[in-house]
Amino acid sequence: MSTLKTTLTGYTGYRGREGHYAFLLHRITGLGTVLFLVIHIIDIALVYLSPKGFLDVVALYQTTLFGIGEIALVFCVFFHGINGLRIAYFDMFKPANWSIETERNSTRITLIATLILWLPATFFMARNILIHNYGLFGG
Amino acid sequence: MTATSEQIRRVKVRPNYDHVAWKWMRYSALLLIPLVWFHVILQDVIVGVHTMDLDYVAQRWANIGWRVYDALLLGFAMAHGMNGVRQVANDFIKGERARTIMSWALFIFWLAITAIGAAALIGGVRQDFPLN
Repeated sequence: MSTLKTTLTGYTGYRGREGHYAFLLHRITGLGTVLFLVIHIIDIALVYLSPKGFLDVVALYQTTLFGIGEIALVFCVFFHGINGLRIAYFDMFKPANWSIETERNSTRITLIATLILWLPATFFMARNILIHNYGLFGG
Repeated sequence: MTATSEQIRRVKVRPNYDHVAWKWMRYSALLLIPLVWFHVILQDVIVGVHTMDLDYVAQRWANIGWRVYDALLLGFAMAHGMNGVRQVANDFIKGERARTIMSWALFIFWLAITAIGAAALIGGVRQDFPLN
């Protein structure tokens, strides 16, 4: 139990500014993605194990609540990928950038690049929800 | 013969398990970025979950190329994810014995989920199932 507390205190108490937040976001987005990945493998396996169950799960995924979760998932996937590229790039070509002082800029660029990919995707996914669940835009 | 202190000592270290695992995290990551991003953009944004049904999956898997694509996703994404979970868990679990138990538990979990996914990927959409 003390290990849990020590680690969590380290996660929240360490003041590494942007690099620290990028580390935390990388963990959260990674864990979020792998959680859905496990669920997703099982739900797709239902097409073979129980096709009726698959249709029930798809109906659940079409609800607004899961639609919002889907939008969050797409953020996780994009951020985790771009931040992963940043980490690999620094490790291979710019090891000097691994410092609290220099990480502000690269973390900001990572977030902006994530938003550039995520916002248009969000637009279309939100539009789908509004069309199919609320009958808007001629749905 | 001057400045021996400035000479760089290079030592060959035999790679251990975590060294190899770390390398494969990188390799799989570089592969997963195009694979997962294209999958997400196609299925979640372009196709959308509202047009998803058994016919869609059956049509998609009628093409062997998509089955190979999904097999790559299943293999690399799940392994990358489970190793990531192991690394996060290592932050919280310090005991040697507890870490061994955790690693084996994750390995068995990974094997089981991957096997379930592979079974569906090979079996495909079951047509004889009474839907009504």
